[in-house]
Amino acid sequence: MAIILKNIRKVYKNIVAVDGISLNIEEGTVFGLLGPNGAGKTTLVKILTTITTPTSGEAYIHGYDIKKDSIKIRRIIGVVPQENNLDRYLTARENLTLHAKMQGMPRSEYNERVDYLLNMMGLFHRRNDFPDKFSGGMQRRLVIARALIHSPTVLFLDEPTTGLDPQSRRAVWEYIQSLKEKTTIFLTTHYMEEADQLCDRIVILDHGKALIDGTSASIKETLKGSDLYEVEFEPDFKPDPSQREFLYFISDNPYEENGSIRINLKDKKYLKPLIERIETKYIRGIRRLEPTLEDVFIHLTGRSIRD
Amino acid sequence: MRGIFPICERDFIVSWRNISSDLLPTIVSPLTFFLAFGFGLQGYLSDIEGVPYTMFVVPGLVSMTAVTSAFDHGAWSLWFHRIVQKTINEYRVNPISVYEIVIGKILSGFLLGAIKGIVVAIILLFLINFQTSTGAESALGLLMDYSLVFSHLLFYLLFVFLGSMIFSCVGTMCGTVMDRPEDLNKIQGVVITPLVFLAGLFFPLSSFPSEVLPLIKLLPTTAIFEGARQALLQGRVESQYILELFVYAAVSFILAVIIFQKYIEE
Repeated sequence: MAIILKNIRKVYKNIVAVDGISLNIEEGTVFGLLGPNGAGKTTLVKILTTITTPTSGEAYIHGYDIKKDSIKIRRIIGVVPQENNLDRYLTARENLTLHAKMQGMPRSEYNERVDYLLNMMGLFHRRNDFPDKFSGGMQRRLVIARALIHSPTVLFLDEPTTGLDPQSRRAVWEYIQSLKEKTTIFLTTHYMEEADQLCDRIVILDHGKALIDGTSASIKETLKGSDLYEVEFEPDFKPDPSQREFLYFISDNPYEENGSIRINLKDKKYLKPLIERIETKYIRGIRRLEPTLEDVFIHLTGRSIRD
Repeated sequence: MRGIFPICERDFIVSWRNISSDLLPTIVSPLTFFLAFGFGLQGYLSDIEGVPYTMFVVPGLVSMTAVTSAFDHGAWSLWFHRIVQKTINEYRVNPISVYEIVIGKILSGFLLGAIKGIVVAIILLFLINFQTSTGAESALGLLMDYSLVFSHLLFYLLFVFLGSMIFSCVGTMCGTVMDRPEDLNKIQGVVITPLVFLAGLFFPLSSFPSEVLPLIKLLPTTAIFEGARQALLQGRVESQYILELFVYAAVSFILAVIIFQKYIEE
């Protein structure tokens, strides 16, 4: 196993950030931890990357204990933190060589590797520039390159695409996918699409607890028997998802998206009385939907991941 | 100990790159004091303890530059790495211990402080040379008059190095625990400045009332400034001062490491 967690718990004063998480992650897996801000994702990454110690529980990275073998673990992991913590007074290349030196790599080894990674990330022509001059996407790519210098066997990516434009996001996804074969990837995100696209296995985390664990398909399968509909309204009608008319017939809180409301009916038989109740003249169309990870999240937590 | 060298090297690369903007404020402050007090008041002051006033203040000004630079580097560099760049967390995901990080930071702070002190020393000696050359007396000749020999210089540098070490540790502690830049400024105004001015930098310690003098002698800055001055000008190393400095250096180093480890892991 690449990563093992046994009942990991982290309490900050009175706040339970991680509440008894247990997991086994196989080598070569792209594992996604999905959850809203404050769910405990970053805390869990900090515990596994040995930056923070857990209040209780055990965790192992390739058999190394996170409490006793932190130095050994740091030799085999790469970390892409949530923020681009680059040194703005060092050039792009110097940022990478500093990391290589702290990893104890000899100059003959790291010089080649640094240039290779700068090339791979499309940053070689900017190697002597300072990160301040880079766009958000370029900075992110540099942080990923830095995490890969010492060829880690486990790569932790904490919200790797937050704040990036769609084009940069796609580019980062491609890099992550290209690493799949050689590296176990532990990724946190609050983007459903990202988890859906990249991850072999997903755990949805909320309030420090794991709510569900499985592949994207198996997680969506939990809502397979449900009746998910998208109700599209006339432009001049402003739907109020909290109205009683909605709540009586549906099992999860509905959420609004571009003038439409996604609802999960308690039963198929409620569709007709619901439409009658909210007056058909305001309804432009109704579509049956395949469940998404967001629907599962709403089903499990009673709220949208963006709340 | 593999982490210490890259961290020090990084600080030296950055300092070298910013040398022109860094060195100017470092030089201006002691130079202003030297011109205002050394040149300005010299005509009104007789020799102090047999030494012309300009020569009396120079060793202290050099030490002051070294210790304040070491404090500034320790405090602001760590604060910047921790709060602004968050690069401390990048250091911490590498196979190096927190001890290596803090020792690397303390070392670079103390070395950079000492180097800045030496630069200021060269400039001030040049000015003394300029001042005295009209009287057909060179700086070297003047210094030789005060029995400046190589051993004096070594002892003097020992005081400067120990002082820089202590203040680099104190700066590291402040940069570790303080989140707001205003608080770092307050430490400079409320702690460092009084420590500098009460330590007999511009006047002899004999000016203090005898009841206060033992307390003043306990200040680390007194041990640094007065000890350094005695070492340079008289070739005398007062054991109380050197002992004090070793104790302060050891205690501040241990405290800096413990505090850094505690706060960073939280």
